[in-house]
Amino acid sequence: MESSDEAAVEKCRIHLRPGTLRDAPPATLHLLPCEVLVSRPAPVGRFFTPAIRQGPDGLEVSFRGRKLRGEEVVVPPGLVGYVMEEKGEGLVGKGFSEGSSNDNEQEQQELVEPPEALERDFDRFIGATASFSGFTLWGLETIPGPDAKVRGALTWPSLAAAVSRWMCPLPGPVRSSLTSSLLPRLSRILPPQWIWGFGAGEHNGAGGAWV
Amino acid sequence: RDSMDGGDRARARQHVFLLPEYFKDAAKKMKSGLMFVKLVNPCSGEGTIYLFNMCLQQLFEIKVFKEKHHSWFINQSVQSGGLLHFATPIDPLFLLLHYLRKADKEGKFQPLDQVVVDDMFPNCILLLKLPELEKLLQHVTEEKNPEIDKKKYYKYSKEKTIKWLEKKVNQIVAALKTNHVNVSARVQATAFFSGDQASSDKEEDYICYAHGLVSDYIPRELSDDLCKYLKLPEPSTSLPNPPSKKVKLSDEPVEAKEDYTKFNRKDWKTEKVCVSSCSGIFGSRR
Repeated sequence: MESSDEAAVEKCRIHLRPGTLRDAPPATLHLLPCEVLVSRPAPVGRFFTPAIRQGPDGLEVSFRGRKLRGEEVVVPPGLVGYVMEEKGEGLVGKGFSEGSSNDNEQEQQELVEPPEALERDFDRFIGATASFSGFTLWGLETIPGPDAKVRGALTWPSLAAAVSRWMCPLPGPVRSSLTSSLLPRLSRILPPQWIWGFGAGEHNGAGGAWV
Repeated sequence: RDSMDGGDRARARQHVFLLPEYFKDAAKKMKSGLMFVKLVNPCSGEGTIYLFNMCLQQLFEIKVFKEKHHSWFINQSVQSGGLLHFATPIDPLFLLLHYLRKADKEGKFQPLDQVVVDDMFPNCILLLKLPELEKLLQHVTEEKNPEIDKKKYYKYSKEKTIKWLEKKVNQIVAALKTNHVNVSARVQATAFFSGDQASSDKEEDYICYAHGLVSDYIPRELSDDLCKYLKLPEPSTSLPNPPSKKVKLSDEPVEAKEDYTKFNRKDWKTEKVCVSSCSGIFGSRR
């Protein structure tokens, strides 16, 4: 209990190291239909993974003697899955140093103010240790159906988009990659009049998307 | 790759997140400026986790999926709880509105840096760093520009705010339709045979649903005003805020409500979406 002081928690910021998002190695995730009470290393690759079979109705495996049925679930388009851990909790050696040294000095981000103003010595740090683009969803005896709550939750980002704006003034280079990744999805979610600000030379900024 | 030494040692808590893909592109340009902070939740007044992306100059809310009896296997480890966190963009105007309404009790025009002040959640000053604030504030405030100094002075306007919220509702209705979200609480037998559920949804159902969605970002009082303005049917029971909005004593995220009644407008997410506000990531370190 380092920060039992409630006020410190309210003031605290947890900084996510952007570099870790770039370099996070892929991970294999399974969402189990049971509660394992302790979080700890586990020989998943020795006992669980080799036992998975492709059955007539999805994937089959057993865990603690119970029959599980599952299927691959893909992370919704436009999103990426990350596993994050707080620095100093289990990352000794893995480090949060920005490993890739191909950033030269001119490529510093243009923050509103220098980062040292955003990072204070009582802040905490978190980093992505792994990334994923899908996971295996397991149900007891049967594959979780279309009404499964986790499937509903995966539709949340597309609804959230409707409540809040999409556009933000973007730094130039990001703009092109954004266009390719977001625009197809945007057109599914929002009527055309909300999709603007992407046009070359146009500078509508955020204003257009706010109505 | 994953060593199994210390197999009995509990390991650091792992948080499973879904982040927008474009964070990766932004990450190429920045070494810092991505941070989780606790800010006031404009609906409940509780402390809630938000994520600032200073490179994109955008604010994101963190919602968490939590259901009983789940755990993760992550590579060669097990993580109890089975939580899944989402970071989705949020309109910062919702949070600014909280402060504007509070300041309005004094009933005078004030500069923004005197409005957005919070002893409980001092990180609220980060909101002032977001771009286009002046443009945003036009939706919900009257402003004065007395030219004495370079500052603008703002005052909350309920009329403007209600009209702005109405636009939001219309925007959400459009999105619900394009996403084919079933907003009707009535289970209709025909839907089982025709497979055409969308046609059974009435316009009012969409507006109710959208109103419920927006109500998660504004205080109850404003939600009720908007309800009257949109001429929606009065909720049959005037419940206080549902449990998901209540004080959370643990550092665990709360669970979304389970029961669904047609007339409780706040229960929009029970059927379709099961996410709730996040508070867990800020738990004390062991």
